Amino acid sequence: MSEDSSYRTDMTPVWCPGCGGFALLNALTRKVLPNLGIPRHQTLIVSGIGCSSRIPGYIDTYGFNSLHGRAVLIAQGAKLANPELTVIAIGGDGDFFGIGAGHLPHAVRRNVNVTCIMVNNFVYALTKGQTSPTTPYLQRGEGPFLSLRYYPPVDPVLDMVSYSVSTRASFIAQGIATDPSHLAWLIEEAIKHKGFSFVNVLSPCITFDPPWLFKTIKERATYLKEGEPVGLPDSSPEQPWLHDSGNITLALKLAQTPVTEKPHIGIMFRGRTA
Amino acid sequence: MVVLGSLLQRLAASQGYFGQMPRYYGPQIRGGASGVKLSLDTTRASLPGDAPDIMVCFNWEKYAELEQELRLGTDTVVLYDSASSKGSISLPERAFPVAFSETSKESVGATSAKNIVALGLLERILALPENPPKGAAVQDQASTLLERNSLALNAGRRLLPESPFPELRLSPPRDPSPKVVVHGNSAVAQGAMRVGCRTFFGYPITPASEIMEEMQERLSQGNGVFVQAEDEIAAVGLALGASLTGAKSMTATTGPGLDLMTEMMGLASSAEIPVVIVDVQRCGPATGIPSKSEQSDLNHVIYGGHGDAPRVVMAAYDMEGCYRLTIESFNISEYYQAPVILLSDQWLGQTIVAANGDFLTKDYPVAHRKRPDPKYGERYQRYKLTEDFVSPMAFAGDEGLTYQATGLTHNEMGRPSFDFATHHRMHEKRWQKLMPLRDRDELVKVLGNEESGRGIVAYGSSAQCVLEAVDDLGLQDRLKICIPELIHPLPDRLASFVGSLEKLLVVEMNYSAQFYHYLRSQIGLPSDAKTYARVGGLAFSRKELSGPITELAQ
Repeated sequence: MSEDSSYRTDMTPVWCPGCGGFALLNALTRKVLPNLGIPRHQTLIVSGIGCSSRIPGYIDTYGFNSLHGRAVLIAQGAKLANPELTVIAIGGDGDFFGIGAGHLPHAVRRNVNVTCIMVNNFVYALTKGQTSPTTPYLQRGEGPFLSLRYYPPVDPVLDMVSYSVSTRASFIAQGIATDPSHLAWLIEEAIKHKGFSFVNVLSPCITFDPPWLFKTIKERATYLKEGEPVGLPDSSPEQPWLHDSGNITLALKLAQTPVTEKPHIGIMFRGRTA
Repeated sequence: MVVLGSLLQRLAASQGYFGQMPRYYGPQIRGGASGVKLSLDTTRASLPGDAPDIMVCFNWEKYAELEQELRLGTDTVVLYDSASSKGSISLPERAFPVAFSETSKESVGATSAKNIVALGLLERILALPENPPKGAAVQDQASTLLERNSLALNAGRRLLPESPFPELRLSPPRDPSPKVVVHGNSAVAQGAMRVGCRTFFGYPITPASEIMEEMQERLSQGNGVFVQAEDEIAAVGLALGASLTGAKSMTATTGPGLDLMTEMMGLASSAEIPVVIVDVQRCGPATGIPSKSEQSDLNHVIYGGHGDAPRVVMAAYDMEGCYRLTIESFNISEYYQAPVILLSDQWLGQTIVAANGDFLTKDYPVAHRKRPDPKYGERYQRYKLTEDFVSPMAFAGDEGLTYQATGLTHNEMGRPSFDFATHHRMHEKRWQKLMPLRDRDELVKVLGNEESGRGIVAYGSSAQCVLEAVDDLGLQDRLKICIPELIHPLPDRLASFVGSLEKLLVVEMNYSAQFYHYLRSQIGLPSDAKTYARVGGLAFSRKELSGPITELAQ
């Protein structure tokens, strides 16, 4: 029996081949849960609505595919009522930064020990390609999105990652779907962190995002290593500083780097514990 | 004024008097007009009459704002602060200026103790003993307040050497044992604690906040979970999360909050998660009149939300019912794994009642969720179709019973399904599991002459007004009255009550006669079926209801 089989259900994912959802699923079932040795019955995965939110059905722990934007509520309620549980809330950018955006800052300040994983695919994919709060802001005619050819995003990106930093979320990390091993490590650290943790997974949609988006993010991504110089976009006038995940001011600077220019992969900030 | 009413009620209750004290207040943040109407009764907690025997007024300008709710009678004895000009208000014959403010200033140096002065005076008029019997001490806060202001209290007592209105002396209470003093909102919180609710999530809203505040106080000693959420969606979402782990969870709100909770009501119905939602109704729509009662949320609680989501609707009609039905709502919610909405209203929630405390100490049965057999051989099916349509529920954390649930149409395993037959079976399951509730006869009160073919149906606080009006008119033998405490699904006893009538009157407090139309949608009504329905904002008076009730009896 492979280690995977003990955490996977027999359901086949609905995702498109090549979707970042598989990376998260593998990270959780093959690495995170076995590595941390959390019993299946002591784990609850709550999701919202969207492509990534189908994930609880594929993982043999307690799971609940709830309502759009509300996963983080149900997750907190469960954790408060049964602190023995490891509780993970999973959803997309629409879930956490769109319809459920009002709940996130309160989860941050409440600092309940829940791990929130946002699978950021930069688009509303389940509804077939509408703009999301994280869709890169482009002018009409400028590298149009596949289904957004005539209706490009008109509003600037809602940068809730830097918002989360500015509201002093106690743990903020950014992972990338092309590196499931590193992603698994980030999630393990997030779960081990005693307090609310937020992991933004860069996972451009392979169906509705233009191929350049994934390519750009993958190529420009740099890993944050404690005590080592951070990567900065070419356009940045700043001198690279040494990464210090305990420094909220530096974390804010990292978070404010446009993700298409320099995606920082790693733990951006680790602060107060619950 | 509220302090004066509360102190008088508590003093009287400590000597065995029953009574009810509805509170009247306006849209002020602090200060502004406020009033109470207090009944003192020797045998039962009756509603205050339309016009009071005694009226105390400190400020006629503020009185004008509440005049329609606090009408004076021609026989009312009015005692008003000589410092307040009565303007153009016409007063009954026996109206006397009293130096409340002045006496307060003389005794404690400020006018702020004028209510305590008035209390001393009222004690005299009502001929209440000055020193309550030992062991019947008024509650701590009240006695401390009185001790601190004993100078003002005694000054008030000295305003009159003895009772000048012999007819206003209280008869001795039939049973001098002290009465408990509780309002409906507090009764809900106490009922929740009694039945074992230890996880409460809320958001402040008038007139339901008192439930949240009391739960906060009761759960703050580390014996439970209390969260004041960021909004009502969050409050009920947190409650559902807690419920997944087996906790008895609750939230309380009123109309506007209920709007926000609606999507979670659907989820709780579909995913079969127990939760109790208390709706202390106020005037709507939109912001309406936050501080006044109405019964206009009925359509919402029965039908609100998309997609055929069955839920249970209960309605308390008195303070004791607020306590008992909170326990019952949990029992039903836990056993049937469904959302239960308990209707209260501003009047019920905020009226302070002095009553026998037996209901707080008697035994109540406690129902539990059906749990999977620990020796479960086959793979656990969260939504297994059983004979009674109730599936055993594992709690997140139970070993060997992991399941994955969803708000999508799902099969017995809880897995998403797009199959027509499964969709049908799951709807049938969720609706049919609630059908045994129709046989819960004890949740439908029938009073009056059971043989009569003329009947009134009313629920919530309106039912109390109906009972008082029928009593006043002496029509108990010519009518019968049905008060359902279970509204949805429609109980059989209510259906057979209506079925036995030639003439029906439905009394309710909303413009569109929601309850009447609900009944009409479910059962055949007698050809002579009338409705007395009007907007809230003003309690039903006996006089107002005497018309339709007399007509019914004729």
